[in-house]
Amino acid sequence: MLQREQIAPGVHLNTIPADKFNRCRISLHFRFPASKEKATNHAVLPLVLERGYADCPDMTQLSRKLARLYGAALSVETSMQGASRILSISITGIKDQYALAGENLTAEYAAIALGVAFDPYFENGCFSEEAVTIEKDTLARQLQSEINDKRLYCVRQARRKFFGDSPAGVERDGYLADLPAVTPKTLTEAYQELLQTAQLDVICLGADQSVVCDMILQKLQKIDRKPAELTLRMAMPAQEVQRFEEKLDLVQAKLCMLFTWNQCVEPEQMNAFRLAMSLYGGSVTSRLFLNVREKQSLCYYCGSRFVSPTAFMMVDSGVEPANAQKAEAAILHELNQLITGPITKEELEDCRRGILSGMASVGDSLASLENWYYNEILRGGQVQTPEQSAEDLRKVTEEDVRRILAGFHHSVSYLVTKKEEADHAE
Amino acid sequence: MQNNTMQAVQAAVACDKIQLENGLTVLVRSMPGYSGVHAIYGTKFGAIDMEFEVNGKHVTLPAGVAHFLEHKMFESEDGDAFSKYAKTGASANAYTSFDKTCYLFTATQQIDESLDILLGMVNKPYFTEATIEKEQGIIGQEIKMYDDSPEWRIMTALFGSLYHNHPIRNDIAGTVESIAQITPEMLYDCCKAFYNPGNMVLAVAGNITTEQVLAACERANLPAQPATVKRIQPQEPETVARERYEFKMQLSKPCLGLGFKETPIEGAKAEIICDMLTELICGGMTEFYRTLYDQGLVNPGFGGEFLVLDGCCCFLFTGETSEPETVREMLLQRIETLRQNGVDEEIFTLCKNQSYGEMLQEMENIEDSATALAGSFFRGRSLTEDIEALASLTKEEVDAALQGMLQPQRSTTVIIWPNKEEDA
Repeated sequence: MLQREQIAPGVHLNTIPADKFNRCRISLHFRFPASKEKATNHAVLPLVLERGYADCPDMTQLSRKLARLYGAALSVETSMQGASRILSISITGIKDQYALAGENLTAEYAAIALGVAFDPYFENGCFSEEAVTIEKDTLARQLQSEINDKRLYCVRQARRKFFGDSPAGVERDGYLADLPAVTPKTLTEAYQELLQTAQLDVICLGADQSVVCDMILQKLQKIDRKPAELTLRMAMPAQEVQRFEEKLDLVQAKLCMLFTWNQCVEPEQMNAFRLAMSLYGGSVTSRLFLNVREKQSLCYYCGSRFVSPTAFMMVDSGVEPANAQKAEAAILHELNQLITGPITKEELEDCRRGILSGMASVGDSLASLENWYYNEILRGGQVQTPEQSAEDLRKVTEEDVRRILAGFHHSVSYLVTKKEEADHAE
Repeated sequence: MQNNTMQAVQAAVACDKIQLENGLTVLVRSMPGYSGVHAIYGTKFGAIDMEFEVNGKHVTLPAGVAHFLEHKMFESEDGDAFSKYAKTGASANAYTSFDKTCYLFTATQQIDESLDILLGMVNKPYFTEATIEKEQGIIGQEIKMYDDSPEWRIMTALFGSLYHNHPIRNDIAGTVESIAQITPEMLYDCCKAFYNPGNMVLAVAGNITTEQVLAACERANLPAQPATVKRIQPQEPETVARERYEFKMQLSKPCLGLGFKETPIEGAKAEIICDMLTELICGGMTEFYRTLYDQGLVNPGFGGEFLVLDGCCCFLFTGETSEPETVREMLLQRIETLRQNGVDEEIFTLCKNQSYGEMLQEMENIEDSATALAGSFFRGRSLTEDIEALASLTKEEVDAALQGMLQPQRSTTVIIWPNKEEDA
């Protein structure tokens, strides 16, 4: 069970018991409004932070330091959550009882994670010129290589069309065109603004939270905190469906379809969405899996996923280029069938059972525990345990599911398909 | 290692091991405080087993049969396994690698029922021409999906360049043409040869007792089906099949693959040395990696790996780079320098530390624990043996191994170039 305590304005310390695990974990999640203008600075930031910090500025030495701590894993990454961006710094490592020379490992983990977050390596009051230049180059190559993964590329293109200029459409990895304008100064300004304005959630799993709390409060003393208000939930308006097609040199076509729910999702609706997704395309007993993939052999993969902060559903699939239209029609047909046709008690209960089983196993890994509780925090309602959520899920009815599915409006279809399709169609 | 640390480590890797009368190896790790159970039922039968004799009958398979069989095992006369698991709430899956096929589930309730499904699904094989034909369509789609992955294509090309005859040359899923040749008789022959309890392991970890697992085995009533099986691997010359292979895909930057063919090795220590060598050559702790990274020559995903199978052993270094020829030369030079000067003492010690932490990590979750147990069966040694081998490993042993390994004359280079005309 999560214990959550506000320790400073906009700063929460969250403790999750983790006695049974061999490792412990400390995470710091900084959440702040996404900005298109600053997106590229925000994307470079984790790459530069991960290279080192004031007490260990060298990237290679930091790798060795982590190896010395029995292969502790440090990650610094950014993600998008609706109209917000999150910078997450996490460290995971074995517990003190396994240290071969009796070292106090957890104190060292905390020092590294907090060092990376609050004491980066600066030269003349800014991030190092060399580090910024190198990581701008790394990000440029990453942005250019987007096309290498055709499935992901298709999904990203579809999202771009879906969100347009909405703040939820800000690119997590920034923009190639904006990279030249990123300098040590702009990056330092973006970092300092983030320290002042972000909502900070510190999550301790199996680590001494009182030590972490004292260290955080000490770091915060140096910062003039003005936490920003965040938009928790949003939805894109329904629109006429737009279809896009792009031809590339590939073997299997990728089709991504996006649907808006047209209104914000309240936390208490989550379990109905979970069950609806499982029935439609989120499980091996779903209609998309059983009918579109197994019976009609139209796709190798074909699944649905719901993204609650922005209230949209994504169906992505890998299809024969010649079958793309047929696959899209079949995907829409299955949705319509669930809304208007019969839903058997058996399939509903099969799906419910699968989700309940997943909820019951949340406590079995550090990652799933953190993921569950941080998502609960992000939703902004009452933080529920998996057990409480399971109770609510048991009450979701067939009609609840139909109402959820009927609320979706098809907005965008994006197809990445094969060049010379006519020559190779089967 | 201090006594209390040693006790903690031993507890972290402890498990029960039982060999049943029918030959099945059962490995169980009870994990108090966990809610779920992860079970793996695996057989030593993978993509490289393409020729064998079973009870005197000679069988030759087209590429992709082990993977195809994995898909088919989910079907039986009384329905598919996914539907049965849906009644217990278990999440099920399966995978095929070069040398094994594993069926698995994770569940938090109705564990006994899920174990019954798992043990039953490969015990009563059921194949017809019609069900085989249907599967060919689905697997054909899967093969095409991998065709678009540069990472997959470069690995396949490396295996095809390193080996003349070894079946690792073939894609695990085969090709659309090879799976079209599959017949029910072939599948039944594979079951007879490899899906008998003596060739299989049941590895279970989580909220379960050994008694529960043994009771499930008894209920399944798995018959001992001793078969005389002789695996046949083609003769493989020491040389590489081709020194260089280049092709094009629609990519933003070229991809480099540098592979080294090795004489097959055996034993925990030899495998640990090979794993460690990739880290010592170009891992994140080396100045060499730093040079490549800071000069923008490689992306963070660049690195090396090592693979050992029956009749096959190789190192593979892969990654995206704008200058594949430069990086290739630098890698070859780096290996030569290490061979002459020996590996870095500090990084060697840190690698040992890191490997120790990784072993503990592998026994933390139910999924990882069951996977580690099954892995110990497939490798033929316990996790404790691995830890002991790691603890006693010396830098001198690594230096000695490097004298014979990673020789440029047994290397191959694969480059995928961006398809420029597509950019126009």
